[in-house]
Amino acid sequence: MEPKTFLPLTPVAFEILLALRNGALHGYAVMQAVNEASPRRVHPGTLYRAVARLVDEGLLAEEGGESEGRRSYAITDLGRRVAAAEAMRVAGQVERAQGIQKSARRPREA
Amino acid sequence: MRWARRLYRLLLRAYPPTFRERYGADMEDAFVYLLRTKGRFRYGLWVGTLWDVVGGGLSERRRARRGNRNTLGKGGAGSMETWLQDLRYGVRTLVKNPGFTLVAVITIALGIGANSAIFSVVDSVLLEDLPYDEPDRLVTVWAELQTRDVEFFPYSPPELRDLREQTSALEALGGVVTFRQPLTGEGDPVQISTAGVTTNFFDVLGISPQLGRTFVPEDGAPAAAGTPGTAPPTLPNSVILSHGLWQRRFGGDPGVLGRTVDVGGVSSEIVGVMPPDFELWLPPQANVDPRPDLWGAMRLDFDNSPRNNVFITVLGRLRDGASVSQAQAELDGATARFSEQFAIYNTLGYRQRAVPLMVDVTRDVRPVILALLGAVLFVLLIACANVANLLIVRASARERELAVRAAMGGNRVRLFRQLITESLLIGALGGLVGLVIAQLGIEALQAFGPATLPRLATVSLDGTVLLFTVLAATGAALVFGILPAVQASRFELSSVLGERGRGGGGAGAKRLRSAAVVLEVALSLVLLIGTGLMVRSYRALAQSDPGYNPAGLMTFTTNVPFARYPEATQRAAFTMQLLESLRAIPGAEEVGGVFPFPLSGQPFNGRYGTESALEDERNYRQGGYRATVPGYFETMGTRLIAGRTFDEADFNDSLPNVVVDNVLAEKTWPGESAVGKRLLVRPLGPDPVWVDVIGVVAHQRHQTLAADGMETLYFTDRYLGSFGAMTWAIRTGGRPDLLVPQIRRAVASLDPLIPLDDVRDMESRVHEAGGGTRFALVLIGAFGLLALALAAVGLYGVLSYTVRQRTGEFGVRMAFGAEGRSIVRLVLRQGLTLAVAGVAIGIPTALLLTGVMESLLVGVSPTDPVTFVTTAALFVAVACVASLVPALRAVRVDPVVALRED
Repeated sequence: MEPKTFLPLTPVAFEILLALRNGALHGYAVMQAVNEASPRRVHPGTLYRAVARLVDEGLLAEEGGESEGRRSYAITDLGRRVAAAEAMRVAGQVERAQGIQKSARRPREA
Repeated sequence: MRWARRLYRLLLRAYPPTFRERYGADMEDAFVYLLRTKGRFRYGLWVGTLWDVVGGGLSERRRARRGNRNTLGKGGAGSMETWLQDLRYGVRTLVKNPGFTLVAVITIALGIGANSAIFSVVDSVLLEDLPYDEPDRLVTVWAELQTRDVEFFPYSPPELRDLREQTSALEALGGVVTFRQPLTGEGDPVQISTAGVTTNFFDVLGISPQLGRTFVPEDGAPAAAGTPGTAPPTLPNSVILSHGLWQRRFGGDPGVLGRTVDVGGVSSEIVGVMPPDFELWLPPQANVDPRPDLWGAMRLDFDNSPRNNVFITVLGRLRDGASVSQAQAELDGATARFSEQFAIYNTLGYRQRAVPLMVDVTRDVRPVILALLGAVLFVLLIACANVANLLIVRASARERELAVRAAMGGNRVRLFRQLITESLLIGALGGLVGLVIAQLGIEALQAFGPATLPRLATVSLDGTVLLFTVLAATGAALVFGILPAVQASRFELSSVLGERGRGGGGAGAKRLRSAAVVLEVALSLVLLIGTGLMVRSYRALAQSDPGYNPAGLMTFTTNVPFARYPEATQRAAFTMQLLESLRAIPGAEEVGGVFPFPLSGQPFNGRYGTESALEDERNYRQGGYRATVPGYFETMGTRLIAGRTFDEADFNDSLPNVVVDNVLAEKTWPGESAVGKRLLVRPLGPDPVWVDVIGVVAHQRHQTLAADGMETLYFTDRYLGSFGAMTWAIRTGGRPDLLVPQIRRAVASLDPLIPLDDVRDMESRVHEAGGGTRFALVLIGAFGLLALALAAVGLYGVLSYTVRQRTGEFGVRMAFGAEGRSIVRLVLRQGLTLAVAGVAIGIPTALLLTGVMESLLVGVSPTDPVTFVTTAALFVAVACVASLVPALRAVRVDPVVALRED
């Protein structure tokens, strides 16, 4: 599937993909990474609903977890491509935002 | 932590089961992570969590339904739109019946408000973690002297050293003792509360200072000179200020670090300032002030201090992963080694125990709070029964409306949902109003609550209490809503529409209402019996003779600093001079002094024995020791039973004379006169000495007003070495507080650097000592009366309704010649049957439950028959009145009107 069709990602979903960029993590570690990276508290419900979506869409793969239901998650190839596409999209936004501060500070003329 | 996880697991039920199975366990872990990192009781976290769970759960459920539309089966019932429709309809119904709505909401609000207020206390006092680092790992360590019935025995420095060496499950052991001392230099001398701590004490708690540093081992290096034997430990010269003292005395100046102050005559350097919210929570038996003004590092000589100089309350931190039972096993080992090394431990019945700090701190108040929680739960149940009754009445009044709705195509499930939605609305409104009531209740609790309730000041409507309120309101709505809703939605269509629409519910509804009333009566009877027991306790307390007469007594404490009065003779001279000056105050009828003072909370105990103790140390007993100034018993109004009290010669010449109380005299020499007998005591050094009994006085209650307490020996302060602290009592015929300016002048003229401390009249001390009992009495009493009122209203409601229903029948009866009296009897009998059934259930329930109040009761047993019988009788009387009003109304019915109505 075309990565673009998944864009834009929710901030939490994007953070989850980013947290897994270096390899699979347990749910607890994902929670930790996402909360450390986010400016606001991310509650478990928000996190796992995003995880569920990502798994359903094939961006994440669930591993293990027969016992006690605790699983770990890995990013799939598709997930990697979607994350890259999202990063490009955000980068474009950042580029367009250049100078926004300056212009905001400049007093209105006329 | 564990209960928070359990609560979260419960909340997760908002999610569809498939989602829960897949992620539930992981989500719990994630939630625990948030708790760890974002604080446990932050309002925001719980509110956010609730939002997250409810919002996320609902949309996940919606998704699950959308995804599996085919497998869901009969759709319809369950969508958001239906629910909103029910809600709108419910609001309309409630607005249309303002009277019903008001009564129902207020009833539920009273129940919920009481519950939320008490739960907020449970939360802050019993559930919330103590404000230290990993508080679960903190334990108090106590010694016990079983042969002398001493349960909370502190430690000496060498014992603390031994414990540190012999326990590995405890990674650190610290100690603390608090006492009052004068602070001089920079402004007027003031008496302040000081804490002496081991240098590692703040590390054990895991507390950092706001400014500067905590103590380092060098701060506690023993002074070159030997420490005095039984004197309070002199404060060393590194000190940390409390935030309060820093603000009051130093204006919050950050430059105080490095400055020196004079504490108890010792020059001390300020090395740090504590954070504002720091408080020290230890069990009341430790007699440690939770908010000392100043902390000093004790210079303890761990190797050379005598082992009988015990004053340190020991607090330990468990090694990570170690359990209390491991620590306990090591303490038992240490006890065995103590006993091998020193014979004295064998004769004491010496034991040691480690107790989780939280358990130790809350032990005394737990039963009170749980009893109150039980009481408010009863109030809420009674309120629910009342509202259920109202709902049943209303449902029967609405039968036609409901029947029409059913005929128009609403099915039973829809009807049921509609009625439950209305109940939930009432619950929600009740919860909101209840929060207001709870807030008022909390403010009242904080204003009148006893000082013995730890952390009362931190009680507030925080996120946990809000969550509790939401759950209580929902739970209550289900309790009072489900049965009436089932009842109302189960009717037979044809019978209602076919019948003449007066409704009134079938036999089922009537049974349900009667059952609700019986339940109310039973529950409120239990509460009222609790109230009755408290009333009797309070009366017993008020009538008990404490051994002194508090009226017209002014009291205050002085501390003569050892640093400026190093010799006992100097301190004794000061005491006698002050006695003379105080006697010279116009209006002062009697003057005396003692240390420690009754009801001050300070213990001072020692051993005593007779000849038999010389042969076997186990024959020593434990008694209270007191240091007195002549005139003490006369001033306090304590009765002299035999012999004489102290005079100035006893004091000045330091004669080995003692006065004992009647409890000691009767225990030691039953049936004989104690005067002229000898006692073996050990007030000073390690060796026992003989003293002569010169008099016997009436026993004084020292620790509490509620119980007699320990037998007591009175020495002269001079004989005990004049240890500086003395609480003075002055009796006057006028108002005690008018003496205070003259007392200040008298003390200042002798030594302007000695501050007056704890200046209060005796009646306020007695009043405060009764605070805990009064508090429980007022609360349980208030809940009991509320319950009684609710039950009476419930009974009245049921009977009035019956009377209205049977108006026609009564009319017929009277038309055929029945007398008014027989009608009254008919109604009364119905009311009394319900009341008696309630009493019959209530009494055995109360017998089972009042046992939990045992620790609150004074001079009355939890199954006191007088209270039980009186309360039941009172109840039946109230039931009579509540039945009589509708009964009389029944008689006034005009038969013609009644018949026409039918």
